[in-house]
Amino acid sequence: MTRPVVCENLWKSYHFRQPVGVKNLLLGHAAPAETRFTRQWALSDVSFSVSKGQACGILGHNGSGKTTLLSVLLGTVPIDRGRLSILGRVASLLELSAGFHADLTGRENAVLLGSILGMRLAEIRARFDAILEFSELDNAIDNPLRTYSAGMIMRLGFSVIIHSPADVFLIDEVLAVGDARFQEKCRHYLTEFKKRNGTLIIVSHNMKELAGICDEGICLDLGQVVDTGPIEGVISRYSARASAASPGKSAVAA
Amino acid sequence: MQGTGRSAAQLAELLYILVRKELSARYKNRVLGYVWALANPFAFAFVYWIAFKFIMRLEIENYSLYLIAGMFPWVWLSTGVSNATRSFFVNASLVKKVSLPRFILPLANVAQEMVHFAFALPVIFAFLWFAGGMTPKASWLWQVPLLLALQTAFTYPLALSFALANAYVRDIEYLVGIGFSLMFFVTPMVYPVTMVPEAYRHYFELNPLHAMMQSWRTIFLQGTLEPGHMAYAAAFAALTGLIAWLLYRKLAPRIGELL
Repeated sequence: MTRPVVCENLWKSYHFRQPVGVKNLLLGHAAPAETRFTRQWALSDVSFSVSKGQACGILGHNGSGKTTLLSVLLGTVPIDRGRLSILGRVASLLELSAGFHADLTGRENAVLLGSILGMRLAEIRARFDAILEFSELDNAIDNPLRTYSAGMIMRLGFSVIIHSPADVFLIDEVLAVGDARFQEKCRHYLTEFKKRNGTLIIVSHNMKELAGICDEGICLDLGQVVDTGPIEGVISRYSARASAASPGKSAVAA
Repeated sequence: MQGTGRSAAQLAELLYILVRKELSARYKNRVLGYVWALANPFAFAFVYWIAFKFIMRLEIENYSLYLIAGMFPWVWLSTGVSNATRSFFVNASLVKKVSLPRFILPLANVAQEMVHFAFALPVIFAFLWFAGGMTPKASWLWQVPLLLALQTAFTYPLALSFALANAYVRDIEYLVGIGFSLMFFVTPMVYPVTMVPEAYRHYFELNPLHAMMQSWRTIFLQGTLEPGHMAYAAAFAALTGLIAWLLYRKLAPRIGELL
């Protein structure tokens, strides 16, 4: 069976993380030290795959490579080595207001985001009522986006994205800003999406959210996959490691 | 890799939406929106008209018409390229967080300035008519669209190349600004090239920007096309188009990690 998301031995290095500037170009710049945030390989030898109708949760500390992995899957950042294959259309919710303009109304922004995601204007128009209904923004849809709270922006973004035709969803830590009821609505929608054979990849630090939606999980540390398997096991081992390494208990464990 | 699987029609709609976004965001909450688009070229032209006509007292025939005929296409070119040079930084979230064909961002800047220019055309025609007694010509109906297409083809490769280079070396945007300030006098925009001493004039005429701007002036002031200048501008557009395409293939994939 072909899996919609397959990564084999992915390696990714940020060759020129900083724009160079003439000064550095002339004087050369020192190689960064190998730490959590400035190591040479942002991703090293990452392999995993996700089946149709499955949700995969990605866990890891800040700087462990989660966002890099999502960017690579989305195609906004190229890989250096390895093989990556994604079947079907990918839609992403990696940043709350990506593609939005603060001065435009919610309605105009919905059209803008839909078009950015690859929808035809006719498609957006045809689905607009459904988008508005899911977002529950009612009359606020005609107010400028700068008057929106983070939760309202998330409602708008999420509602547009789920109405774009996608086979694979990438979601990075944005659901948390919605209120409890809307989060429940999103969770319900994502479960339905899986039932329709959609594939889901979610980055989150909210273990309850991951456990509620995901089937499998992978845990990243310093750009490497340190754990994979059913989500409950990955979460409990991650939590155990995290509390073992917490400053209160053993500050100099590493 | 970005934005694969989009049809040409979808890309055209996306371009339309991106341009409309900028235009409506700019004109919202501004009472005199349209007037502000005209103010800049007129202010430029007025300053040089005062300076050359009254202070330095140069005798240039139909000087105000000469200024206006060149100033609007110049503002389209220079503002379009300067804004496009910053476009990947300004739209960093569109580069990093969604899958989008990146060439469309500088293109939207060029198209947006073209729309401003097109909006200003009636005012240019009116100015030529009332200040210069030049009645509108029917030949403009096909000459102007032809030159709109030529200048778009001329401007976009520059815009895309500088935008790509600027993602790698951020000093480019300052160099572009300085470059246009120099070019403003070299092209020349505020005096006719015939005022340049004969020995040097040839070098001034090698400048492709001169050919582009002179094409507009001949249309506005004489109502005729100048095939030599237009062919030169088109050849330059083809050459820079090729360079921009090669740069795009080489440089575009990595800009997501540079912003």
